Amino acid sequence: MDVIGRSILRKESQDKVTGRARYTHDHHSNTMLSGKVVISPYGHAKIVKIDTIEARNMPGVKAILAGEEFPLTGEDIRDRPPLAVDKVRYHGEAIALVIADTPGQAKKAADRIKVQYELLPVVHSPTQAFQKDAPMVHERLGEYIKEKHTTPVPGTNIATHIKIRKGNMEKGWTESVTTVEADFSFPPSDHVAMETRCSIAEILPDGTIKIMTSSQAPFMVKQLIAKYFNEDIGKIIVETPFVGGAFGGKASVQLEILAYLGSKAVGGLPVKILNSREEDILMSPCHIGLDAKIKFGADHLGIIKVAEIRYLWDSGAYSDKAIDLTRAGAVDCTGPYNIENLWCDSYCMYTNHPYPAPFRGFSHSELSFAIERTMDLLAQKLQIDPLELRYRNAIMKGHTTPTRVLLNQSNVGDLQKCIVRLKELISWDEGQVKEMNNRLVRVKGISCSWKTSTIDPNAPSGVILTFNRDGSINLMSGVIEIGTGTKTVLAQILAERLKMNVDNIHVKMEVDTQTTPEHWKTVASRGIYMAGRALLEAAEDVINQLREIASIVLRAPKEDLEIADSRVFLRDNPLMGLHFQDICYGYQYPNGNSIGGQIIGTGNFIMRHLTHLDPETGAGKPGPEWTVAAYGVEIEFDRRDFTYQLVKAATVVDIGTVLNKKAALGQVMGAMSMGLAFAGRETFYFDQLGRVLNPQLRTYRPLHYGENPEYLVDFVHTPDLEAPYGARGVGEHGLLGMPGALGNALSVAAGVSLHHLPLIPELIWKTKEAKS
Amino acid sequence: MLPFDFEYYKPASLKEAIDLYQTAAKNRKKPMFISGGTELITLGRINLVHTEAVIDLKDIAECMVMQFEGDYLVIGSTLSLTKIEETNHFPLLTKTASEVADHTSRGKITLGGNICAQIFYRETVLPFLLADSQVVIVGPSGIKVSPINNLFHEQLQLGTGEFLIQVATAKRFVTAPFVSIKRRQQWDTGYPLITVAALKIGEEVRVALSGLCPFPFRSKKVETLLNNREWPIEDRVNSALSELPGPILNDVEGSAEYRLFVLRNLLHDVLEVLGAS
Repeated sequence: MDVIGRSILRKESQDKVTGRARYTHDHHSNTMLSGKVVISPYGHAKIVKIDTIEARNMPGVKAILAGEEFPLTGEDIRDRPPLAVDKVRYHGEAIALVIADTPGQAKKAADRIKVQYELLPVVHSPTQAFQKDAPMVHERLGEYIKEKHTTPVPGTNIATHIKIRKGNMEKGWTESVTTVEADFSFPPSDHVAMETRCSIAEILPDGTIKIMTSSQAPFMVKQLIAKYFNEDIGKIIVETPFVGGAFGGKASVQLEILAYLGSKAVGGLPVKILNSREEDILMSPCHIGLDAKIKFGADHLGIIKVAEIRYLWDSGAYSDKAIDLTRAGAVDCTGPYNIENLWCDSYCMYTNHPYPAPFRGFSHSELSFAIERTMDLLAQKLQIDPLELRYRNAIMKGHTTPTRVLLNQSNVGDLQKCIVRLKELISWDEGQVKEMNNRLVRVKGISCSWKTSTIDPNAPSGVILTFNRDGSINLMSGVIEIGTGTKTVLAQILAERLKMNVDNIHVKMEVDTQTTPEHWKTVASRGIYMAGRALLEAAEDVINQLREIASIVLRAPKEDLEIADSRVFLRDNPLMGLHFQDICYGYQYPNGNSIGGQIIGTGNFIMRHLTHLDPETGAGKPGPEWTVAAYGVEIEFDRRDFTYQLVKAATVVDIGTVLNKKAALGQVMGAMSMGLAFAGRETFYFDQLGRVLNPQLRTYRPLHYGENPEYLVDFVHTPDLEAPYGARGVGEHGLLGMPGALGNALSVAAGVSLHHLPLIPELIWKTKEAKS
Repeated sequence: MLPFDFEYYKPASLKEAIDLYQTAAKNRKKPMFISGGTELITLGRINLVHTEAVIDLKDIAECMVMQFEGDYLVIGSTLSLTKIEETNHFPLLTKTASEVADHTSRGKITLGGNICAQIFYRETVLPFLLADSQVVIVGPSGIKVSPINNLFHEQLQLGTGEFLIQVATAKRFVTAPFVSIKRRQQWDTGYPLITVAALKIGEEVRVALSGLCPFPFRSKKVETLLNNREWPIEDRVNSALSELPGPILNDVEGSAEYRLFVLRNLLHDVLEVLGAS
């Protein structure tokens, strides 16, 4: 069969291009009420008074929630009230919820809620938060319920601290002849998925809690609502239809909680909350910011002997997923380079910014900017070609990661091969700089990345296969179709394994936590890896059952039977066999006697050998494998105006195996586009009161069509022996190196070292001004 | 979703529009003239616009003309920017208008709506300021025609119940050499950091700006200094920069200092392209 690698059309594409695909907000009912959230206009302020009297008397208003103490929420530290009480900690924090008959009535009433605030000093950055005299974001940090491996420091703004201690630092510095040291920083930004978040909750008279939500993690919604509110987990059913882009932003659980509380306040009637774009940007979790300090020591050949790294992650007002982001940033802190002597402190810092969700790449595009700019500074200092410097330091089998995982031929890709291929792809040998005229210059910048997926060690994935009477198969997996085409690729894997036509495999797109087997979360480029393994097990189950009944009917041992083209047949006489349709619901003999029965295949997967990290050294196995990649960005820079155009962007990923060519290319290019937008334009601008000044698409601007460069994508194939058909995760990797490569190109072009994002012409001008 | 209810009228004549406005104003409905309606929708939903009576001017014939009449090009106020771009009678206007918002929005945004907009860039007024155009305005006291430069100070000075019907521009300006450059914070999307439009009339260079201050403007003082051929370009630009109106914008698009840096280079480019060196 040749299903693997083929550009099979996505199973949902017809629905999507005709506008028939249904997302959460497309679901309506007559009894459905609307919720509207009132959000904080300030970054840090005491709530003096909330006046809801006028709002309560507005037409259609059913309930108003405000000022009430609900159980605290938060994934690793329960530090977040669903609705602010006593004080607000970020601009956009939910402070009240209005439930009314219609969205218009809810909004009108929400506009009439008057809140009196008393301003508090604002923590503007993780670096400020780290100072001894910084204002406290959480005065009662020591009293919160927390997970065992989380280490908040009461009396400070530190929500957690991850330490990596490896090798011998003194030895490393002694062996070094050169050191480079630099600071990097950038504020938080957003995901701006096309579909703004939406949740609907309903509590039936028997206590069943039904939630429909635009989420990457419906199974987490179920678990967390049960945990936070002491609900019976079996009574919570979460449904997720199509999700219109997520990028990590929909892995956090927030709006679901408000919808649940809203429904509870109106006797269980269904309540829908749909974020406006402004609420989606401000209130719902954002993309994390970072302040980084990097110090490398290297010998005269550029071999990095030692690294000292400090990451201060901008956790914003609440820790939620930022704890995991801080850990993920620590375990891959060095970028894809072999550094034997290493000291890294990764801190999760509370500030008065919106709090972060995961963002495609999960801390890796962020840390890569700091690492890859430092690599270029080192190359410059040593006068070594920056690509050559990376080639020499590339991590590979036989090396150990920062958390001391020994790499082998399977659990890491081949970075050197990626670099070699990139070199050809971007014609590196033609030179990094090409003068166009006295103002314009074309410059290439490069970078590399790696990433493992730091998921929960016991994260599960399950698959169920059922048959239709014609022998076609229904595939049910808890993976959410967030736009990546994962469910189509699962169908391809099954078609390959059963050697059957992929058109005869029907994929259930919607997820319903009551009937769909759990897939932990659709995050971390782990959809195919985990669900694919579960699927292969389910396929074995089906094969076994098909052979079993066929062996009876055909009077042949199971071992002699083959499966292909929806048939079970004798290996040496393919004409003698049975179609699936004759056995998948049992086999009936001519006289009516029947044997067997409905075939249902099940499979599951759980990661093997993952561990927690040692609290003192960070040692441990955080993820299954490392995907590596190399990148290039070519710009045309105006040396008078400091403006530039993106000309080309290239990514070479070690993908292991390409499962669906066009889907893979689409994933990589889409991620690159997002990375360039993050690097080149997307950011939150804050004022002195901690207010986000650009919470609208008028002023918060992702990359628009026509601003994009020409994309060049290629793959290296080092199979991951544990993964379905050797495929490595590829959903995030196109993004990771873009900020670093763009920063490197611009730093060369402008002749100044750039240390901040976004890389807008004004930043270059300011850096130039400061230098002169 | 707009958080307020309003009456909607679509008058077919100028008189009907004026009468509707007056009646609604008398009933304290805070009437608002619209044509594309983009500001009503986008600012209304965040409570920056409020009205209880919307008077839509799109059906009024006089507001939809686009033709040469004698020595003048007359353009109606309710024509969409894309329509104006496609017809392309006034290349400087085409170029300036084509950089406003995005293609989809320009299909809705109208000339009158952009010139009279609450969002202060109002970039399509720049060509008319440079071309000494005439504005045709109607109000309770009838139709009047005035030079735009008499009536546009930061915004078009309309009396209560008045609206813009047409803008008339003498042919010789329509075909004059021009420059129009929109510089943004980054790449090709977003509001102007600075938009500069310039026309060359004889040997004189005229310059109008949007995005520098919280209003568009054309400054005679600045033009005089830029046209002082006794001086080298460098000095002309420097002296023009010292005569700018204030305040210089300092916002998320860019700092005031950076805007001045950008403006300096833009003025150089304008003078060079228009051969005024």
